[in-house]
Amino acid sequence: MSNISQLTSTPDPKASNEHYRHLYVVIEQEEGNLLPVNFEMLGEARRLMDGFNLRYSAEEKVVAILLGNEMRSQCDKLISYGADAVIYAENPELTYHRNPVYTRVISQIANDRDCSKKISARYSEEFKRPRFMFFSADDTGRHLSATVLAELESGLASDINKLVIDDIELKHEHKTKGQVEKYFKTLEMYRPDFSGFLWTTILCLDNRHPNNMREYHPQACSIIPGVFQPVEPDNNRKGVIVDYKATLNTDDLRVKILNRRIVKSPIDFDSHKAIVSFGRGINDSPEENIALIDTLKQELGAEVGVSLPISKKPYNISNSRLSAYITAERVIGTSGRKVAPTLYIAVGISGAMQHIAGMKESEFVIAINPDTNSPIRDECDVFIKGRMEDVLPILIEELRQQKAMVEVRS
Amino acid sequence: MKSSRLKISVIIKLEPDFSEGNVSYNSDGTLNRAETKSILGPHSAVASMAALNAKVLYDADVSVGTMGPPIAEQALQQSQLLCDADELHLYSDRIFAGADTLATAEVLRAGIDKMHNGEKSDIVFSGHRASDGETGQTGPQTAWKLGYPFFGNVIDFSVDVENRLARVTRLVPIQGLYDVIEEIEAPLPIFITIHPSYKPTFTTVSQRLSFFKCQKEARDRAALYKNHLKTYTAQTLGVDPKLVGLPGSPTIVYRVEKIPRAKTSRMAKIIEGSNQDQIRAVAKKITDMIKVKEI
Repeated sequence: MSNISQLTSTPDPKASNEHYRHLYVVIEQEEGNLLPVNFEMLGEARRLMDGFNLRYSAEEKVVAILLGNEMRSQCDKLISYGADAVIYAENPELTYHRNPVYTRVISQIANDRDCSKKISARYSEEFKRPRFMFFSADDTGRHLSATVLAELESGLASDINKLVIDDIELKHEHKTKGQVEKYFKTLEMYRPDFSGFLWTTILCLDNRHPNNMREYHPQACSIIPGVFQPVEPDNNRKGVIVDYKATLNTDDLRVKILNRRIVKSPIDFDSHKAIVSFGRGINDSPEENIALIDTLKQELGAEVGVSLPISKKPYNISNSRLSAYITAERVIGTSGRKVAPTLYIAVGISGAMQHIAGMKESEFVIAINPDTNSPIRDECDVFIKGRMEDVLPILIEELRQQKAMVEVRS
Repeated sequence: MKSSRLKISVIIKLEPDFSEGNVSYNSDGTLNRAETKSILGPHSAVASMAALNAKVLYDADVSVGTMGPPIAEQALQQSQLLCDADELHLYSDRIFAGADTLATAEVLRAGIDKMHNGEKSDIVFSGHRASDGETGQTGPQTAWKLGYPFFGNVIDFSVDVENRLARVTRLVPIQGLYDVIEEIEAPLPIFITIHPSYKPTFTTVSQRLSFFKCQKEARDRAALYKNHLKTYTAQTLGVDPKLVGLPGSPTIVYRVEKIPRAKTSRMAKIIEGSNQDQIRAVAKKITDMIKVKEI
C-alpha cells in the first residue's frame, strides 16, 4: 500500500461529476454466524481504501452490507474489523439466503442514495451506485455476485486473489475507439486460472467509444476465501450502522425453503493428523498409483486430497476409485479446501500456486516428485526425488517396519 | 398452438477435453489450447442428463442451445445423444466473440426466448461451471436476465406439472464448516445449475422403458443432428449488437502473466528416492509425528 500513498496523482478531470462512491462489501452469514471470509474481505477492503483515502479522497468509505434476522449485534464486530459503515437489513424473510430475495435487496441498497447520505453526506447528492463491490467466492457468493451484477448491469470478475487500485492508461478498440485514455481509480482484479500458473488481470471499465457510451459501475469481484488477512480487530473503531428497511417482492417470496439440514461432509481434512494428496504425477499408471496411495493412506490413517486438475477426471480408471478419490470435494487449494494437518504428503504434485495456498499452513510437508525444479520443492521440508511408482513401495515397507518395531518395543 | 407439455431448455458449452490423451499441457504447466481437443464440457453433460431425466419422468420437450463458433455443433450433438433433444440451437456470430459473462448471458437469454417456438421455458438447466473459464457466472446471469429464480448446486428435482410447482434439493458447502442440504419449493419457471454429483435414477419399470426408448431415439436423432439444428446470428436472435461480444462486455482482460513463485517458506532437504536408509529416516520421522498416544 505504501506505493499508493506516496504517489501523487494528476487530478481526474471527470472527478467533479463522479457519481460512484465507496467500496461495498457483501457479508455472508450462515445461521446468524459470520463466516471467516467476511473478515478477510473487510481486511483487504480496509487496506485498499486506506490507500485510496490518502491518494484520492478521504471521504470514501468501506461499507458492509448485512442481511439477516436478529443479527444487529454483529454490526459492531464488522466495524471493529475495518468497516466504516454497516447497512443492516433485518427481516425474518432474510434469515436464510435465497438468491432471488437477496439479489433484489442488495441491488436496492446499491442504488439507494438516502442510504449513502447516512454514510457520508459529502457525496450523497450525486451518489448513484458503489464504486467497488466485493463478494465471497464460495458457491453462494459466486451465484449472488452474478445475479446482483446482472441486475446492476455491470462487470464482475470471479475468484480473485490480488487487488490493486490505480490509474491506468488504455488503448482499446471498443472501450476507447483505439485512442489512449486514462481511467482513474481503477480496480485491477487478479484471477489465477484453472492451472494455477497464470494470472489474468481483469478490469471493469466504462465504454468511452462515442458510438457506444456506457457506464459500468460498480467494479465488482468475488474474493477467494482464505487468501487475504483480516485486520487486527479494534473495538474502539467508530462506525455508522444504517438500519435498512428492505422492500420485498412478493413473487420472490414464493420461493420457499421447506427444509434445511446440516450434514458433515464424509471427507474430513480436519481431524486427521496426516493428509496424502496426489496430482498429475499418477499419470503413467493411474490405477496402480492410486492403489499405492490408498495403501499409504491406510498405513498412516490419513485423509486423501487431490490437486485441481485431477478433479476433472482425466484418467480412465475403475469406477470404485473414481468415485472414492477423483472428486471435486477432495480438491485442496484455492478452488477447494484449505488444510493444515500435522503431516502433508504431496505425491506427484508440481505445486501450482493455487494448490500451495491450500496446504502451506501444514506443519510438516513431504513431497515425492521426480523433478527437483517443480515449485513444490520450495514448499516442503523433505523432497524425495523419484517417481511415486518407485518411492511409495519403499516408503510403505519402511513404515510397516517402523510400526512392527514400535509394537515389539511396547 | 400452445403446448401444455413441460418445456425444458439446456444451455451447454464446448470446452477443452481434460481427459488423458486429449489434454496437452505446456512445460510450464499451463494448458496448451492448440493441442487440446474440445468436447461437450463435463458439467454441460450433467445438465443434459438432468434434462433427459425430466423428459423420461414428465414427457417434456427438450431444447439445447450454445453460443460459440460453428464447431460448437459437436457439443450440441453430444448433448443430444445424452438428452434426446427435440431442438438444437447454435448462436454463432463473429460479433459474439470475446464476450464476458454478462454479454454471453445476453445472447443466451435471447436464445432461450426463441426456444420452443418462442414459448416460455419451464425449467432451464445449465452446468455448474465451465472447466476452462470456471467462473460459474453465466448460468445465474442468464437466469436473472430471463427473470427466472436461480438455484445453484442442485442435486435433485421434481415437478408437480399440474400445479406448476418445482421442488429442488441443493447441496451447499459452507466454507470448511459443513454442507447444507436445502429443499426448496418454487413456482415455475425456474433456472437451475446441476451439481456435478447429480445422478438420475429411474425406479419404476415404465420409467426404465421410457428411458431406453429415449436413449434409442437420441442415438437416431444425434446421427442426423443437423435436421434438428437451427443457427442464429445476432440479427436473427434480435439482440442489440451493443450488448453482446466485446462491445457489450463491461470487463476486459488487461494483462496475462505468469504467477511469480511465492517466497520460499521452507528449506527442503532433498533425498534420493532410491536411498533406502534415507527413506527409513523419513519413515521414522513420519511414525513419530503421527503416533497416537496410548492411554
